[in-house]
Amino acid sequence: MKHPWLNRLLSVHGLLFLFFVYAPIIIVVVYSFNSHPVNMMVWKDFTFDWYLSIFGQPTELNEQTLYVESTDQLLAAVKNSLLVAGTTTTFSTLVGTAMALAVYRYYFRLKPFYQGLLFMPMVMPDIVLGIALLVFFVNFSIKLGLMSIIIGHCTFLISYVFIVVSARLAGMDNTLEEASADLGAGPWITFKRVTLPLILPGVVGGALLAFIISMDDLVITYFIAGVDSTTLPVFIYGMLRRGVKPEINAIATLMLVFSFLIASLGLYFRKRS
Amino acid sequence: MTQAAESIVEVKEAVKRFPAPEGGVVTALDSISLKVQQGQFVTLLGPSGCGKTTLLRTISGFEDLDSGAVLIGGESVLGVPPYRRPVNTVFQNYALFPHLSVSGNVVYGLEVAGIKKTERDHRLKEALERVGLSGFERRKPAQLSGGQQQRVALARAIINQPKLLLLDEPLSALDRNLRQSMQLELKSLQHDLGICFLFVTHDQEEALTMSDQVVVLNQGRIEQIGPPDLLYHKPATRFVAEFIGDSAIFSGRIQNTEASPVLVTEDGLGIPVGRGPKPGDHATLIIRPENLSLAPPNPDDSVSILDAVLEQSVFRGATHQYVCVLPNGTSISATPTGADDEAFSRVSPGDSVQLAFRRNIPHLIIESQ
Amino acid sequence: MASKRDTRRLIALLTPGTLFLGIFFLGPLAVMVIFSFLTPGLYGGVEWNFYHWNYGRILGWADGDWEEFDPVYAQIFFRSVRLAFTNVLITLLICYPAALWVSGLSVRWRTFVVFIITLPFFVSLVVRLFCWVLILRPSGFLNTTLLGLGVISEPIDIIFTETAVLIGMAYILLPFMFLPLYASIEKLDYSLLEASSDLGANPFQTFLRVTLPSTLPGIAAGAVLVFIPSLGNFIVPDLLGGAKVLMIGNLVEQQFLSARNWPFGSALSVMIMLVMFLAIVIYLRRIGRSEIVR
Repeated sequence: MKHPWLNRLLSVHGLLFLFFVYAPIIIVVVYSFNSHPVNMMVWKDFTFDWYLSIFGQPTELNEQTLYVESTDQLLAAVKNSLLVAGTTTTFSTLVGTAMALAVYRYYFRLKPFYQGLLFMPMVMPDIVLGIALLVFFVNFSIKLGLMSIIIGHCTFLISYVFIVVSARLAGMDNTLEEASADLGAGPWITFKRVTLPLILPGVVGGALLAFIISMDDLVITYFIAGVDSTTLPVFIYGMLRRGVKPEINAIATLMLVFSFLIASLGLYFRKRS
Repeated sequence: MTQAAESIVEVKEAVKRFPAPEGGVVTALDSISLKVQQGQFVTLLGPSGCGKTTLLRTISGFEDLDSGAVLIGGESVLGVPPYRRPVNTVFQNYALFPHLSVSGNVVYGLEVAGIKKTERDHRLKEALERVGLSGFERRKPAQLSGGQQQRVALARAIINQPKLLLLDEPLSALDRNLRQSMQLELKSLQHDLGICFLFVTHDQEEALTMSDQVVVLNQGRIEQIGPPDLLYHKPATRFVAEFIGDSAIFSGRIQNTEASPVLVTEDGLGIPVGRGPKPGDHATLIIRPENLSLAPPNPDDSVSILDAVLEQSVFRGATHQYVCVLPNGTSISATPTGADDEAFSRVSPGDSVQLAFRRNIPHLIIESQ
Repeated sequence: MASKRDTRRLIALLTPGTLFLGIFFLGPLAVMVIFSFLTPGLYGGVEWNFYHWNYGRILGWADGDWEEFDPVYAQIFFRSVRLAFTNVLITLLICYPAALWVSGLSVRWRTFVVFIITLPFFVSLVVRLFCWVLILRPSGFLNTTLLGLGVISEPIDIIFTETAVLIGMAYILLPFMFLPLYASIEKLDYSLLEASSDLGANPFQTFLRVTLPSTLPGIAAGAVLVFIPSLGNFIVPDLLGGAKVLMIGNLVEQQFLSARNWPFGSALSVMIMLVMFLAIVIYLRRIGRSEIVR
């Protein structure tokens, strides 16, 4: 407005804010290419060796700093993560979308109850949900493994899909469905030709969000993963707890790239709608 | 032809109640009965909340009645879902499918009904021509102006050749000029198609311009049904008089004097009226501004005189509006024409005037004791 | 509208989710609450006897034979609440001016910057925390750089302090504060600000009397969204706080994965849940009131 110095101050703060957000990430990416074998924070040379190393390729660094004892373990964790994320995304997208349609397209007395029920898993601290699931599974002798992880993830991912799809439904003009009925289309055809195409960006957005969150979930998985069903975040967390080694830089960078790709995909779908 | 075949829609003692947001019940339709004849342009007119949209939605099938019946083409449509009713609607916000093109929107009803592609294309062409949108087939609704969207909504409805077209305040989103030209277009479209249009509006000018019959609704009840000129000149109730056109309205009791009956209002104003009412009757007198002029030098029995003071004259283009104040403090407007206007324009604000109206012209509603 | 066919469709849409959440969300929470009132077994496991000392250990009553009341649990609990509050304040102070800045940009820049700010939210939590481990540890980026520049002569201890925990928590929870704040600031009617300055208020007064009150719902939402995950966090204190800055989350984890006292862990977890409910109730009250004022 009339106070340019105020605006300038805000801009400076904004740029510092962006710096605070990005600097740590950039540091990790940059140092993932650092070849210094002893102190990873002292820049020596540019190298791809850490990337080769995590995939079990022989490098000149291998001798001193071989850290990922088994590339197989890492790949198994990646495979588990993808399997869990894929399954949970499919299930929670179907169930979450169905519930959003029910709650936002019909009037019934239990509506506030359902809104509360679907709000709860989102605000429940993950440690609470994690140990509640652990206690539950052990008490009812349900084997901890991929299945328990999938069930655990679905309990809160349904809510995320629900929220995203309901936002879309709330923004949708419901006279469109009336118009379709008015033009002779029965409920199923109306759903197929009007409702579904219009909420599809929300459904895809919800699915992508569910996929990312499932891929990233650490706390809940940490409690309910069995011995041989480690996911990628739990695997890396384990590595971190044992000490910081340069390969983690490379793994982190790869995960960064993967996350950015998915996020951009999500943005693309939102732009298109 | 039998009676049943002639009336395309019949509503019988329809009652519909909604729970009010602040508790209690709102009666949207209070025992409404209505017959709409084939080929007519019928308007449901009333203020917001009068039940006109609810009435429309019970005909299209989006609302069920609490009691009463709706007959379309002589058959009851009780429990028939909207998609099986032979009527189509033009929605207030047009409700065009944003993900479909113009042609996708217009042929939607035909596709759903399983009409063959060749016939669909033929009818699409015809419908778009009729609304003047040929060449717009591939546009998306968002790329169209408000008026064009309105035409798409029309084409999408009429392409299905409904027995009855329902229009829910379709012109309310358009600006004034466009609205006026669309009024005329709608009227001629209805004439060409020969199907019945049931049009909902709260705009009395729109209703008077377009309709063959106007149904005036208030608080869930029908106040009056009739052609526009009847409603204007012979309103059946005070509500209709107030709602349609400008007027000065006086309510009071009739007292007989030696010359003629006089309507005496509660605050003691006496207005001579023509023969007809009996002493003691409760009556409402409606005087339109165009019926008022300055009193002639030697008034005879056919005119009534009101003493007033000119407050201000307002330029109205073709005429002036003269705002006068009666002895009891009520404002009354006159919009005389021609020589009468000229005579009036020579009066200065603050001067006393004698206003005159011909006793046979104003309308008197008599509610007997 | 509520025809029989509609009811059938509604039931078909709701049943799978209702069953799933009933069994696998409400069920586990109920079991956990029950466990928190059971007797811990000698070698892990539980005995099915009612037992309230689990809460006694935390809140200050103890029977002397079985469980000693140890003030350290209460201390850790209050530290967690304190750190969570501090984190809300930090993120608010960082994000509010940032949200003001973004909402003042042109429309095209705005969308871009919001995307840029939320992008790291999609990056794995472990990766984001790893970045800070790398920066803050004794031989990390910060110390290496400062030593290299000659600013300090000895490495400073920053990792395994409350400061490190607060930095890490603020970093991972920023978007939860930024987005609600931005949403409410963007909705702000600029003519109100102009009206205020037209009536003679200086920018500071305008901020205090117009901007701040009308963005209160955003502040409240952000506060709740940051407070709850901060409170129960155990990954951040584990990686950046070490043994010195234990939070209630670490305590819960220990009870389950090393001490094997599940009832006590459940009781701690129920406490976290109660504080969460309290925060939400306060939030709903707050929002309810500000809606009435409007």
